[in-house]
Amino acid sequence: MNCFVENKPGVLARIVGLFSGRGYNIQSLSVGPTEDGTVSRMKIDVLGDDRVIQQIILQLRNQVNVIEVTARRKGER
Amino acid sequence: MKKKQQVTGAQALVDSLAKAGTEVLFGYPGGAVLDIFNCLPDAPFQFVLGRHEQGSVHMADGYARATGKVGVCLVTSGPGATNTVTGLATANMDGVPLVCITGQVPMAQIGTDAFQEADTTGITRAVSKHNFLVHSADELPEIVAEAFYIATHGKPGPVVIDIPKNVQQAFTTATYPERVSLRAYHPESFATSAQMTRLAKLINEAERPVIYAGGGVIASGAAKDVAALAHRAQIPVATTLMGLGSFDERDPLALRLAGMHGSAAANYAINHTDLLIALGVRFSDRVTGKLAAYAKKAKIVHVDCDPASIGKNVRVSLGIVADVKDVLTTVSSRVKAADHSAWLAQIEAWKKQRPMAYKPMHPNVIMPQQVIEAIDKATKGEAVLVTDVGQHQMWAAQYFRHNRPRRFLTSGGMGTMGFGIPAAIGAAFGRPDRKVVAVCGDGGAQMTFEELVVAVEHKLPVTFVVVNNACLGMVRQWQELFYGKRYAGSILSVRGRLANERLEQDLKYDYLPDFVKLAQAHGADAVRVIDPAKLEGAIRKAVKSDRTTLVEVIVEPRANVYPMQPGGQPVEGMIFE
Repeated sequence: MNCFVENKPGVLARIVGLFSGRGYNIQSLSVGPTEDGTVSRMKIDVLGDDRVIQQIILQLRNQVNVIEVTARRKGER
Repeated sequence: MKKKQQVTGAQALVDSLAKAGTEVLFGYPGGAVLDIFNCLPDAPFQFVLGRHEQGSVHMADGYARATGKVGVCLVTSGPGATNTVTGLATANMDGVPLVCITGQVPMAQIGTDAFQEADTTGITRAVSKHNFLVHSADELPEIVAEAFYIATHGKPGPVVIDIPKNVQQAFTTATYPERVSLRAYHPESFATSAQMTRLAKLINEAERPVIYAGGGVIASGAAKDVAALAHRAQIPVATTLMGLGSFDERDPLALRLAGMHGSAAANYAINHTDLLIALGVRFSDRVTGKLAAYAKKAKIVHVDCDPASIGKNVRVSLGIVADVKDVLTTVSSRVKAADHSAWLAQIEAWKKQRPMAYKPMHPNVIMPQQVIEAIDKATKGEAVLVTDVGQHQMWAAQYFRHNRPRRFLTSGGMGTMGFGIPAAIGAAFGRPDRKVVAVCGDGGAQMTFEELVVAVEHKLPVTFVVVNNACLGMVRQWQELFYGKRYAGSILSVRGRLANERLEQDLKYDYLPDFVKLAQAHGADAVRVIDPAKLEGAIRKAVKSDRTTLVEVIVEPRANVYPMQPGGQPVEGMIFE
């Protein structure tokens, strides 16, 4: 999952909470700057049911600080 | 150029709240918000002192539900903030716009386990739509503007602003922004023309359509548009608990409440419909029962402003992320007048076959349903009815003739006991032109009873009706039906308690507390009704009174809420007695 988010305190906790609140374990997580210093990019690998992941994506997009979310299954391009 | 005036962060907050349109601020003081309270004597809005922070949030919530405006509250750090959690969660679930200001220890002390320190943004993250920790007084006006914007746009919800004490004391020249523009949050969305065409086509082709209206209809101000569509195409309308009042139940097309304790006609109609038009709902488990069997003959159209709610619980044929009112305004001109007489005749037959009904269980004991009917009769469809949570809430949903939006205020999603008394007080501040009646159980009334003094000291003519069955009725009902009649923890009278509670059977204190004395101690008028013949008169008198009045009604403790479609069951599993 790729999330572009506003570079502000609390944003990471908000996003991680959507996974941990469902008992989902994030396999790998990296956060880094983009060319625009006010935007961060998060790369999240997570194992989960398709329907639940789809729901998480929709709720991520609902977050006030989330600009864009894209996702793909392992192996998909 | 005139030099901008420097004010403290606290003053900037109060000025910003006023600019945002705050008329009433509910709250409770403490060390970390003293600077803000110091500005309140000169504020252009009214301050209402609650008696517990949970009460203050519920008041702001009741105010917001009754008026459609943003409810605003202010509490201190630490315990003040943690006490708001239940109130925030309640508003969050039901999509109620709130702005909750919490004090915080000074920036330099955060993370040091300072006195009355709590990680408020951490704690409230999961129970609010959004929250802010303010780092500088210069940010305050803009954050307040953003908070009001977020609270009211998209699916409404509570927003927390956590303000450290040093930020309140710092000076700023920042002013309230003219416009709010959030980089990443753009909840406005509109149906495409193709979606509208498809929706109109589905409606025009349906033989057995049902409209299923929820809280979103009320939030979007679309009740009139729902009625117009229903009348034009002769479509019956079922409502969720949050949707009660979105369609006049005196209308022959009304199916009334759907779901676990809904009318048989509503649930049968949803079970047989070929087109379920779901407007501003979220398909709660309390409505659907067994998901695999829900509306199984129907194409489902779901219109909601929250994209995350579409397809969450049920698969839909057409999902439209948009404001309900916008959709109905556009689609109605494309919907043909229709008849559906065979379908409506079938529904009429279901209504006759399975009406909402109860039988007295003892000639000298008041049935709780009678209390709701007495309130309905005494208020003639003109009151704002506020409920607590439990059996009485369901009876209020079933036996009150809901006719207009924002007249039935209830904690639907969260099911928060203790909501009723403070929410009714908040509603009375918002709608001084309307009679507000709160109906509570004896369990929930005890959770926030202290707020009654607020109604008394502000001389609010609210009628509080405590339906006293000396037990936690809904818990007791589930124990009777599903847990072998083992009434653990659900009996509030001394009589009938479990042996392992080790109470002496001292019947002198059978009904505790004495709600009449308790209300009188809070300064309210109070009366107890036991005799069924005196019920209507007592309720009528209380409703007519211009003073804060409490009526304690002793009711049949064995009464259950029927019909009932037990959780996870299909509609065939409905039980009626």
